[in-house]
Amino acid sequence: MASNQQAAKTSEVEHEPAPILQQMGIFACVLFVSSLISPLFPKSFPVPTPVIGLVLMYVLLASHIIKLYQVEKMADFLISLIAFLFVPSGIQMANSLNVFTDDGAFTGVMLIVTIILATIILLVVIAYTTAGFMAISRHVFHKSTDIQ
Amino acid sequence: MTWVNFFGNALDPKIGGIAFFGIFLSLIVFLIGQWLFKISNGFFLFQPLFVGMVLGIFILWLMAKWFGVTLPTFYMEAYKPGGDIIFWFLNPATIAFAIPLYRRNDVVKKFWLEIILSLIVGMVISLFIIYYMSKLFGLNNQMISSMLPQAATTAIAMPISGATGGVPAVTAMACILNAVLIYALADFLIKIFRLNSDPVGAGLGLGTAGHTVGSAKAVQLGSIQGAMASIAVVVISIVVDVVVPPFASMMHLF
Repeated sequence: MASNQQAAKTSEVEHEPAPILQQMGIFACVLFVSSLISPLFPKSFPVPTPVIGLVLMYVLLASHIIKLYQVEKMADFLISLIAFLFVPSGIQMANSLNVFTDDGAFTGVMLIVTIILATIILLVVIAYTTAGFMAISRHVFHKSTDIQ
Repeated sequence: MTWVNFFGNALDPKIGGIAFFGIFLSLIVFLIGQWLFKISNGFFLFQPLFVGMVLGIFILWLMAKWFGVTLPTFYMEAYKPGGDIIFWFLNPATIAFAIPLYRRNDVVKKFWLEIILSLIVGMVISLFIIYYMSKLFGLNNQMISSMLPQAATTAIAMPISGATGGVPAVTAMACILNAVLIYALADFLIKIFRLNSDPVGAGLGLGTAGHTVGSAKAVQLGSIQGAMASIAVVVISIVVDVVVPPFASMMHLF
């Protein structure tokens, strides 16, 4: 039995990808179930469908109910498309450009500057905080933080 | 000539034609962006997403002017039906990030505590910086409240913004701009702030600041960055859910 599992694990890497319709089916199932779970959260603590779906998909993969070869191809395809899928969201700004001009042009410019700086702040602060915590676990708890 | 006549069949909802223009325009502007990016040898302002957004709005504005309607009306009636179809595919694309995450499950298992602590502490520090920076720039409380939840995905950030006295539309705009900016500037920012020495931190930062688009960028950088960005998208949304409302009330924003 143990050797069987070993074999299953190694073959997981080189397994032929599942047919694309099956992969779509798995995505559709996960999304649908997540859309049923999402409304159960209270209004003050919103958790949208895709976020639940991501967690659900991860749990299914981690518990080996879904194998990597059954979803991998579809996932890589969708991730490679992300920048394009975001174009309508960007164009959506056409609908609400007025929020930048409502309080005068100066506030609008300041708002854009704040958003640009906030983006950089989020990236840099999170990255440096992580580096800090990594250093703590390396020097205080003597945990190896090497990853390959 | 009115735009309804110009589009003719393409706007007939009975044959589903109404979506054609939006899908066509989105694809064309993105492809032009890709082409510009290629011939300019990767000039950062010619990132396909950024070009697509600016060019798309510009074309819609031009057409709205031409047909004598306002830009929001033209956007809502001519572009949105098609745009919404493309937009929907962000749902499966978001759950697709479970796969890069699972591929580096070893990193997640080893560092889960560091990841969660970094995201919570980093988020709180960022909130303070963003708050005082906005104050410095003379934004009013309503606008500051709209700036705070922008690290979460749009679907979480908008209601939180509304609940803490902000304007959801401004927050949505911030979320979109975050993604576009990170996609355009990630390489440059990583270089000048030397983030690549710590792939875990770089991944978490990209996922937080750039949402799913930042994660797509992180996947290109490496498997660890990709996995970390994917986990950041989920965890930071929950952190914003929990941290921003008490922070806003502590700062008397509403």
